[in-house]
Order: sequence, then C-alpha cells, then structure tokens
Amino acid sequence: MKETDIERIVEQLSGKEGDFSIAADDSPEESIRWRELDGIARMMRDEPAVEAPSGLEDRVMARVRAHRTSLWKALGEALLRPRTASFDPIKALRSPVSGEECSFYFIMVGAFYAVLSILLMIGFHMMGTTLAPPGWVHWQPLVALITAAVLIAVGLYLIRDGRMAARIARIGTLFYLGFVIINGIAIRLDWNIPISVYFAIIAITIGLLTGIFLIGMIHNYGKKYANV
Amino acid sequence: MKQIDEGEIIGRVLGGDREAFSALVDAYKGPVYRLAFRMTGSAQDADDLTQETFLRAFQSLGRFRAGERFFPWLYTVSLNVIRNHLRRANALQEESARNEASEAADPRNNPAEAAIGREQGLRLQGYLLRLPIPVREALVLRFYEGLSFEDIASVTGETLSSAKMKIYRGLEKIRLMMEADGFAASE
Repeated sequence: MKETDIERIVEQLSGKEGDFSIAADDSPEESIRWRELDGIARMMRDEPAVEAPSGLEDRVMARVRAHRTSLWKALGEALLRPRTASFDPIKALRSPVSGEECSFYFIMVGAFYAVLSILLMIGFHMMGTTLAPPGWVHWQPLVALITAAVLIAVGLYLIRDGRMAARIARIGTLFYLGFVIINGIAIRLDWNIPISVYFAIIAITIGLLTGIFLIGMIHNYGKKYANV
Repeated sequence: MKQIDEGEIIGRVLGGDREAFSALVDAYKGPVYRLAFRMTGSAQDADDLTQETFLRAFQSLGRFRAGERFFPWLYTVSLNVIRNHLRRANALQEESARNEASEAADPRNNPAEAAIGREQGLRLQGYLLRLPIPVREALVLRFYEGLSFEDIASVTGETLSSAKMKIYRGLEKIRLMMEADGFAASE
C-alpha cells in the first residue's frame, strides 16, 4: 500500500464511520487489519479523561510566586523575546508608535554612536602624537561611546513599554539635544584649526537630526499614555 | 474549559501581575496533566511534570508571540518537559506504570463498567508506554487529546505526513502487541 493511501486511511481512524475501501481493494485481510487499528483508536478515544488532582493549581501557583529570575536570565529573556519592528522613520514621526519601535530607533542611534566611537578611536590613533587633537576633542571617542551606551540603555528600558520609560526617554533625549550643541561649540572653541568648524557642524547636525527625530517619536509614543 | 482572553492575561503576567497566570493554569491544567499522565503512566510524575510545565511556561512567556494560539505553544513546552523527564527516567518499567496508573481517579460511576473499562484502559496504557516516545506523543495527542493532525504537526515540530505515519505505526505496534498477548483489538 502506498504511503499516501495509508495517510488517507489514518485520517479516517476513529472517525464516525471509517472508509477503508482503499484497504479493501488490496485484500480482505488488509481491510480487517485496518478495522482492528480503528478499534484501538476508538478505545483510546473512548477512554474517560483523567482528571487533574485537586490542589494542583495551588501547587503550580506556589512555585510561580516563589520563582525568582536572575538578572542575567531576565536580560536574556528581554533580548531574545521575538519582536516585530518596522524601519519606517516617517511613520514613527506621524503616528503613535509602540515601545518596541521606540526602543528599536534608540538602539539604532546608539549603535551609530558606537560605530562612530570606534572610527574616531582609529582615526585619532592614526594621527599620532604630533597631530593629536587637544583636550576636549581628544575625549570625543569616549563621549561617543558614553552616548551610545546611554541611548542603548534607554532603548532597552523602552522595551518595558511603560509611562516611566517614556518619561526617562524624553528627559534623556532633551539632555542629549542640549549636550550635542554644547559639545559642538566646545569642539570648535578647543580645537583652533579651520577643519574644526566642519567637524563641529557635522557633530551638531547629526546630533540635532537624530535628537529631533527621537523627541518627535517619543512625543508620539507618549500619546499612548496621555489619557492614563 | 473556560473562555478566557489569553492575550490580555499574558499581557498582564508580562507586566508583572503573577497572579493573573492562575487563569491560564486553571484553563489548561487538565489537558497538560492528561498529556503528562498518558506519556508517563504515573499520576505522581504527571503532577510534577504539570507543575514544571507551567513554571517553564511562566519563565518563557516573554518568548510567546502575540497572536499565536496559546495552547499549542503550551503543549510544545509540556512535551519538551516530558521528553526530558522520560530521557532521565529511561528505564520506565511497564509494570510500575501499570501500578501507578491505578492511582488516577476513574471518572466512571458504574463499578462494573469501571472495572472492565479500567482493565482495558490499563492494558492500553501499558502498550502505549512500550512505544517509542515520538510515536507515543502522536497517539496521545491524536486520540486521547483529540488534536487535529495539523496541530499535532505544529506541536511536535514534524510534517503532517510524518505525524500521520507515526500514528499509523503506533497503532500497528499496539495491534501486534495485543495479538501477541491474545487480545482482540475490538475488545
């Protein structure tokens, strides 16, 4: 008998009235064998359901209440949890967004600063000691790294999708906006070479664009909690 | 089973309301217990495994995808817990399983009918425990739990065709065991 025929008959097993005509085409013995299989299936199906013992729910809930998640496990769960986030910045500025989408954009901006930090470190290292930039500019890789860490931390916190997360994200973004302007001006004042103007303009422009985008998105995210 | 808004309950649990989880336990403790009981043949093991299943589900609830049906997901968690247990308790004896199986409450009221049905049920349970775990899973899900072939394939992570063939092979093995023991399948 073909596997497809077996599958078709298996579907009939323990049904209301099994159709074993395909099996009967092979031989009467085959038909009898299928009826026996159907009988076994019927016996299983007709078995009365075993009831869960009393108090099982209480025992389960006692374990659930006593359960403590370790910090690492909680972090792992939060990061491994499947999510859907669409990359559509225009939509994020026009319509209400979820905490997960907000989180995604914060982490993306954070990742940008992490990459920028690495590039600055490499660049400054290649410039050597004679061309090394002065004081505040010298610290820019670290500034970018800290900015990345803060934005990613806020992004992770936004996964919680709550009012407090929205408030922290808004304050953090305003602080970020203020900081990029001060940082740009400090770069220009501290590094007295013509190229520093472009360096400062680029730093401020990137900071303002990303900052305004994040604050606009957080505003849309905050609408969700406006009436709460 | 009570009608509950699983999505809303899961949202509350994920938001930190552990007590909300009791609604899910209440709704699904029966099917999970039955599955564990049929797979192990032991009321005590089924009780432990049911607790373990719900605890595992609680721990990994964050990975549950919104919009997905909860019960197949819970069955998958339960099967993983049961498989691990059966692997550990590799040498599960048929005789001890028969003895343990009698611990479960028999819902029939008529004593004579209960005696006949009980013996038949124990015999079937014994044969079931002699089957390989994946085959046993397929039979339990199909005939004791009444799942569709599609759900069985989804819960066990197999193809539809493979699930059907496992059921066929399982029934055939039981038929041969019954024949060897001198019982007719229609008994």
